[in-house]
Amino acid sequence: MNYYFGLKNSIFSSEIQIPFFKNKETKPENILLYKASILNNVWKIEKINNNKISSEFFIIKSNDHSNSDIFFLAHPNEVQNLDINKLTNINDYTETSPAYRANLKIIFKNGGFSSYQSEYPYSMIKKKGSILSSVHSLANINADSNYIFIKNIYERPIHKIFNCFLVNIKTKKIEEKFEIKTNFTNFIELNKKLIRPEIFLSTKEFLGIPIYASVKNKHVSFEHTHPPHEYVLSKDKFTIIGNLKKEINEITS
Amino acid sequence: MKSLVSLITNNKYSINIRNLLNIKPVSLSIKNLNQISVSDAFLWRTDNGFNTVFKFTDILNLFYKIKNSFIEIHFYSKTNKKIKVINFKNLSLSNKIEINSQFLDDMHDYGVFYIYHFTNTEIPKDIIISNRCYTGYSKNNNLHSFIHGNALAKYTKINNKNNLPNYNSNIIKKTVFQNQTYKIQKLFQDFDRSELFFANPTNKKINFSVNKDIYALKNGCSLLIDISKYKTITIKSNCLFLRPIVFSYKNEFLDVHHA
Repeated sequence: MNYYFGLKNSIFSSEIQIPFFKNKETKPENILLYKASILNNVWKIEKINNNKISSEFFIIKSNDHSNSDIFFLAHPNEVQNLDINKLTNINDYTETSPAYRANLKIIFKNGGFSSYQSEYPYSMIKKKGSILSSVHSLANINADSNYIFIKNIYERPIHKIFNCFLVNIKTKKIEEKFEIKTNFTNFIELNKKLIRPEIFLSTKEFLGIPIYASVKNKHVSFEHTHPPHEYVLSKDKFTIIGNLKKEINEITS
Repeated sequence: MKSLVSLITNNKYSINIRNLLNIKPVSLSIKNLNQISVSDAFLWRTDNGFNTVFKFTDILNLFYKIKNSFIEIHFYSKTNKKIKVINFKNLSLSNKIEINSQFLDDMHDYGVFYIYHFTNTEIPKDIIISNRCYTGYSKNNNLHSFIHGNALAKYTKINNKNNLPNYNSNIIKKTVFQNQTYKIQKLFQDFDRSELFFANPTNKKINFSVNKDIYALKNGCSLLIDISKYKTITIKSNCLFLRPIVFSYKNEFLDVHHA
């Protein structure tokens, strides 16, 4: 089951296009779009009514979402008895191959736009863990400004503060530390001096998706980094990646 | 018993039948491979005012602490003619190369490139690494729009001390019939223009259609298609993992992303 999200702040707005079709199967009757948000420490679930623009896509504009909201597709029966204290895997409608994604587009105020095909899988929601992302891979030293969005969705309806670090893997020092929170699209501006091969973004309490945005002369680039296990395909990949994460976690401890 | 069933259903012939009948199809396989470096088929563009930037990680150093690794990047034309090979030693953890028409001997065109990691030192027996790094596309020297790698394509042995390397491309599977459907999860109606870039990641000819338009690509070949007339795109092919790169233009702005 996949969840979808947007982002917005004083610099960017966003639009989410959530498809309503599957590649290989007949569309089930009465699949609807729902929004989950946190209200008084429980999940509040609402049906989204007005955003379906055709039989094929839901469009969610910036005015229709906040950085805390998440969206999912479900049959009304599946939503009736949802646990308001915990997100659960209520259906397999978005368990498809190729992956069932939404187009997440950011728009720079009075300028350009950039997008990627986005999803937040349920498997990441129920787990704690850490992010490891090479800053140099997607941040652009030639841009006017660089930003990192860190999206976390966690099963419990809490906004828990946790630390995010920019770590120098060579000197084994923390270059910068930020407080970010769960169930939120977090946003940090990146100091250009930290766009270097040895700088990595890391967290150690919660998972998330690091997405990089660069802006130059109103042109925008927007893409997420791969998780480390995309680079190592061996059977022992989790040991190999665990060792690297342990090395970085020792710097931030 | 479970392993016997797995043996029967996952051998080469069973996979072919599963893919033919579209029953739990297997899109890619690296089974029985080891000590290999796998590359995506990365797009380079120098046509129509484009230039390309490639950023890649020294994977052997970052994950295995192998300090003396080196890489080769092989550039191909859209018709699969090898046009350039470059070598890099003394790698940083993250590296960058710029691919413009000057770099490619005044070529104003497009094609694919592959990156392979090598070392001459001893490596773990089961190691398989995959370079799925990042390419950025700039039109008229504006900001590069970056995308990550998306499809495993070719591979070779990491350690080639005694043999000339072979570069294989049999990871992505294909089937006899054009029974693989992929509808791109994006509306194209709001753009001035959009293009799709396809690369054939297999070692055989593939056939595909984009809505009603029919195409074929020989192994290793690539193709840019203008899709501005369509609002939505459905791709049907006999390749089990054929995912184009999307270029969408509006006014002077450009968005590049994987489908």
